[in-house]
Amino acid sequence: MSLEGKLALVTGGGRGIGRAIALKLASQGADIIINFFRRRDTAEQTAKEIEALGVKADVIRANVGDATKIDEMFDAIASKYGRLDILVNNAASGVGRSVMDIDVKAWEWTMDINVRAALLCAQRAAKLMEGRGGKIVSLSSLGSFLVWPTYAVVGVSKAALEALTRYLAIELAPKGICVNAVAASFVETEALKFYFDEAFKKHGMPATPAGRMVMPEDVANVVAFLCSEEAFMIRGQTIIIDGGLSLYSPLFAKEKD
Amino acid sequence: MNVEEQIREIVARITHVDKSIITRESTFKEIKADSLDIVQALVAVEETFGIEIPDEDAQKFRNFGDFVSYVENRVAQKETV
Repeated sequence: MSLEGKLALVTGGGRGIGRAIALKLASQGADIIINFFRRRDTAEQTAKEIEALGVKADVIRANVGDATKIDEMFDAIASKYGRLDILVNNAASGVGRSVMDIDVKAWEWTMDINVRAALLCAQRAAKLMEGRGGKIVSLSSLGSFLVWPTYAVVGVSKAALEALTRYLAIELAPKGICVNAVAASFVETEALKFYFDEAFKKHGMPATPAGRMVMPEDVANVVAFLCSEEAFMIRGQTIIIDGGLSLYSPLFAKEKD
Repeated sequence: MNVEEQIREIVARITHVDKSIITRESTFKEIKADSLDIVQALVAVEETFGIEIPDEDAQKFRNFGDFVSYVENRVAQKETV
């Protein structure tokens, strides 16, 4: 797999899973634009690591929850590069609440960043991919169909993101653009600590047949594959990366005893 | 309107509290600002004053006064550059 000469935008690419994806795509030869919002320091650090791999790195600050800022980001990319080959919709946020505690503000905040941004970025990216084809990969979560404590609004946003992925895949196919998603279970990142670090280690780990946490690099490997020509015939799919967690039945726990 | 008044209006709009109750000593808890409110307030203030407030700086704000002083300093620095 080689991505030499390709230009990739990774939203939220400065840290966590986005950082691993940016580094993986860079290791395969792609030039990377890292979008970040709250943490310039980590974005610039990641950019340095990317440049050390011998490709170009750029950083752009934008709150993807704000439609105007998305436009400004793509205006900047259009005028500086005039093209884009890969879009990774990775930036995400959320409010950890049970369904009864979700208010309009928490709903809109999460939906705007996790779903609307993916749509608006895909629309703008598709125009920059016109005539050359491209790849769009969005980051979903196993919480789109499994129910986790206080994950409701994020889970719903990810379910919508997967549906959006299917629609984009079909409608953008004639333009030579491949659109897919990945859904990981709990990934070892800083963000995990906000949700269920301890709970996962206690209950989730024994329920993961692969025997370890999903690492950011596990997700990055699949994203890189979906960005390659080898994945050309995969369209509108959400690839699960969970070490078997979603298939595991607690009945197996008895067998182990 | 000075910096403090502008920030007070922004925070009051986001948290839906009466701006008269927001003093420099008010903690975010007293203003009923949750983590989402705080991020939204940071973003609105950044846009209003054309500055960037890193999370690591924002985490040090103990109260509304810290927030205001920080922004006042940053705005003053910007003006001298």
